[in-house]
Amino acid sequence: MAAVKRLKRVAALQPGFISFKWSAESDDLNSGRRKRVNKNKKKNWNKHSDIQDVEEFLDDVRLQERTTGLCFLCLLEVQERKKGKKSKSRPLRIDLILQHDSLVPPPKDVLAYQQPNAKKLRRIAENAEKLAAMGVLPRRQKLLLNRRPATKTSKAKTAANNFPDRPYYDLWGGEGKFETADPYYLEQTGKSCVKRPEKLNVKPSILPAVEVIAPGGSYNPDFFSHQALLLEAHEVEVMRERAELRIERQLAVKQEDTATEETVFEELVEGLVEEEEEEEEEEEDVSIRGGLQQEKKTEKERKRERADKIKSQQKQAARVFTDKKQQLFQLRSIQATLKRREQRTRERVAQRKANQEAEKSMPRRLGRLKFQAQDLEIQLSDEIPGSLRTLKPEGSVLKDRFKSMQKRNMIEPRERAKFKRRHKVKYVEKRAFREIT
Amino acid sequence: MGGLQKKKYERGSATNYITRNKARKKLQLSLADFRRLCILKGIYPHEPKHKKKVNKGSTAPRTFYLFKDIRFLLHEPIVRKFREYKVFVRKLRKAYGKAEWTGVERLRDNKPGYKLDHIIKERYPTFIDALRDIDDALSMCFLFSTFARTGKCHVQTITLCRRLTVEWMNYVVTSRSLRKVFLSIKGIYYQAEVLGQLITWLVPYQFAHDHPTDVDYRVMATFTEMYTTLFGFINFRLYQTLNLVYPPKLDSKAESELKAEHEEDYAMDSESYLEKLSALSASLARVVATAEEEENQLDLFPTEGEDQENMQAREKEQKEQEAQKRLFEGLKFFLNREVPRESLAFILRCFGAEVSWDKSLCIGGTYEVTDETITHQIVDRPDMDKQYINRYYIQPQWVFDSVNAQMRLPVEDYFLGTTLPPHLSPFVEEKDGDYVPPEKLKLMALQRGEKPEEEDDVDDEELTEEKNLKKMEGTRAQGKTLAVKVTPGKVKPWETGSVGNKVRLEQEEKAEEKRLAIMMMKKKEKYLYDKIMFGKKRTTREVNKLTAKRKAHEDASKAQKKQKKAKKQ
Repeated sequence: MAAVKRLKRVAALQPGFISFKWSAESDDLNSGRRKRVNKNKKKNWNKHSDIQDVEEFLDDVRLQERTTGLCFLCLLEVQERKKGKKSKSRPLRIDLILQHDSLVPPPKDVLAYQQPNAKKLRRIAENAEKLAAMGVLPRRQKLLLNRRPATKTSKAKTAANNFPDRPYYDLWGGEGKFETADPYYLEQTGKSCVKRPEKLNVKPSILPAVEVIAPGGSYNPDFFSHQALLLEAHEVEVMRERAELRIERQLAVKQEDTATEETVFEELVEGLVEEEEEEEEEEEDVSIRGGLQQEKKTEKERKRERADKIKSQQKQAARVFTDKKQQLFQLRSIQATLKRREQRTRERVAQRKANQEAEKSMPRRLGRLKFQAQDLEIQLSDEIPGSLRTLKPEGSVLKDRFKSMQKRNMIEPRERAKFKRRHKVKYVEKRAFREIT
Repeated sequence: MGGLQKKKYERGSATNYITRNKARKKLQLSLADFRRLCILKGIYPHEPKHKKKVNKGSTAPRTFYLFKDIRFLLHEPIVRKFREYKVFVRKLRKAYGKAEWTGVERLRDNKPGYKLDHIIKERYPTFIDALRDIDDALSMCFLFSTFARTGKCHVQTITLCRRLTVEWMNYVVTSRSLRKVFLSIKGIYYQAEVLGQLITWLVPYQFAHDHPTDVDYRVMATFTEMYTTLFGFINFRLYQTLNLVYPPKLDSKAESELKAEHEEDYAMDSESYLEKLSALSASLARVVATAEEEENQLDLFPTEGEDQENMQAREKEQKEQEAQKRLFEGLKFFLNREVPRESLAFILRCFGAEVSWDKSLCIGGTYEVTDETITHQIVDRPDMDKQYINRYYIQPQWVFDSVNAQMRLPVEDYFLGTTLPPHLSPFVEEKDGDYVPPEKLKLMALQRGEKPEEEDDVDDEELTEEKNLKKMEGTRAQGKTLAVKVTPGKVKPWETGSVGNKVRLEQEEKAEEKRLAIMMMKKKEKYLYDKIMFGKKRTTREVNKLTAKRKAHEDASKAQKKQKKAKKQ
């Protein structure tokens, strides 16, 4: 920055130099309607200041440099010297200090003139070897050896949980470290663990962890148990087929509804026959007449209505009274109905309880997917091996364990995640194909 | 109306449950980490009774956790370790990307790890709790130990599982606690009784199987992580109860026997010890070497409240158990190459036998085929070329069936080349009146000590009858009179005679009494009685149907056999 300023100042002193201000003003085209620009911010310096004249001058200087081979300042000096010999170029003080001012010549570097003597060097090496063989080492080596070796502490790689030679100890037998200490102290220092809630100790399902397969699943099964197992698998397949056909059944059209020739003929002929028109006219008259009659009610009408009402009320009261009396004789049948009702409620209660019990052993719905039971592992009659050697195992224990955990409500049913593309892949023809088509 | 209004979904079941995503955000973990944490701590999702209330009016299927469970999770120190691991992964990835190899090494050395010991202690405060849950752990560890050691699951996990399962098998062998075995098409089911708990587990077959793709391996690996920790601690405790050294060491005497010449052929040095242990052919070292002392018969005093009968019954049971534990004691077995070695070695050793196999199969075979003292050789081929005289050649099913029947079955049914009797499941318990397959009846008869009826006898009888008939026809055709006499009929003993009469009279009296009692019942009671009898009759009818079917099936097969025989002749 300072150098630039200095340069500009010096440039401004030159005779051929056009002053700054003038150039700035002359360059502006709209001198009258000048926009007020804020030149206080750095980002406005580049935008709203014109440095064209400075650039011109600098180009001029560079040209002079190129042509004369001297730098600008040297040119100045030359000019000054030409002008007057006042400023004699004196050597700089720093140069004077660095000069040798002693009359003693610098000593010769002996080592630079030394030539290696092969025999000597060999002898030195042999001696060093002999001494090393005996155990006498130069001081440097001794110091190196005495240095403590950088012990590479085997970092706690054993902290990992599952390395094969992991040691175990008595987890339940040893004394608890914290049994004797004060509970408040343990809590405050963060050493005690939070107690596990009681509900978490209850198993999520009553099913056993390992369910043994039915006796028909033996590798050499008894005839009937094998048939029973096949029957079960058969039932499952039948249910599946029925579920598939259910929709088709629902959409099926009844055979009676299909059009036959007769029905088609009837439809075509409807409305053409004239027999029924007269009956329709009579019905209309009756309805019209009924509607026209209702006009004002007379006193007679009103009195009659009141009397009727009272009579009907009395009749009803009498009926209720006799009903109540008769209920005494209907006790038995009333009891019977009550018994039937109670029995129905009892049956329903029992049914509901049985349903609840059955639900406990069913897998619960724990998420988006429903639990899909795995297929029964069976081998058909012609696949049953005669011996253990020819047995081909059926099903996979890994899948069995996975499904068993889902059945016992330990994990939610999961399926493999599908690969969904966020954006469609653009079809781009290969270069070779583009040439063809 | 002035005070605070009650708004919906602010209290009650709607606030007791929290959805999975909300729980995850509360814990500030990723979904995989959250799932892993729940599996490790044993926190399972719940299905609320009224989904609409909990889900704030919508019926979208969501996974719900109890809010108190999630709050409990917040105190878990492992959560911090998960976050540290996430940061570690990020730093490692950056170092890799910038190709700073020293940084990578340094980070790798300081990899954060966590331990699950405190979680196990919290979930299973007593040893018996842990023993109850070991079924699952056993099945998972056996399953993982059969995996191939490609890089898909951590090879370390597989090795650890193998070690733990071998330790468990050695324990069962030493304590002789195996009770039932069942060979199924899925795998082999074992049941053992350990410290009063019945433990069932499933071992898959050793042959290669393809891995299904729709199983979540990460979930299974997390379960295995937890189960291996639990299993290891249980093993330690079990070995302590038996006074054995843990980690298990082979008995010094037995080890010297096992020193084979070319040990390097089998396994590397580091693995050869595990392999020798897994051979299950040698006994384990004990902490305090005790000589085999004869146990003195302690005087048994009846406990309070028990009569003499119960005590006697218990004594009898114990004696039977002791006898069962020595089922194969004194026998020497040799396993042929095509037979599943580990399973058979395990079972045979559990009941006191000595086992060996071919040297080329596996390390640990103590004696060779040529040993003269071998009593049984287990073969699965249709025939053997070289046969020694004083040993039985049997198929492997004999071992399994004997274990289930708790006695040594007759060997004749299991010779080479014979069709084996069906392998029945010991896990089925038949109630009275249910259909019992005739094989099982035969077994029960054997157990009681009756001699089995041979089917060949029946055939012989029929044959002799036929022969007689033919002879008679022959003589008739020749015109001679038959030497058949009409003898006076014999009166069956139980129609006359004092003893038979008394028994019959008693029976008749009882029947009379029963009929009277039935007549005197009230209507309600009679109705119930009829119902019960109807149910019973139904089951007996079904059983009869099944037996008739079975008989028909057998007759048909007999007829076929006869035809074949006739054709041969």
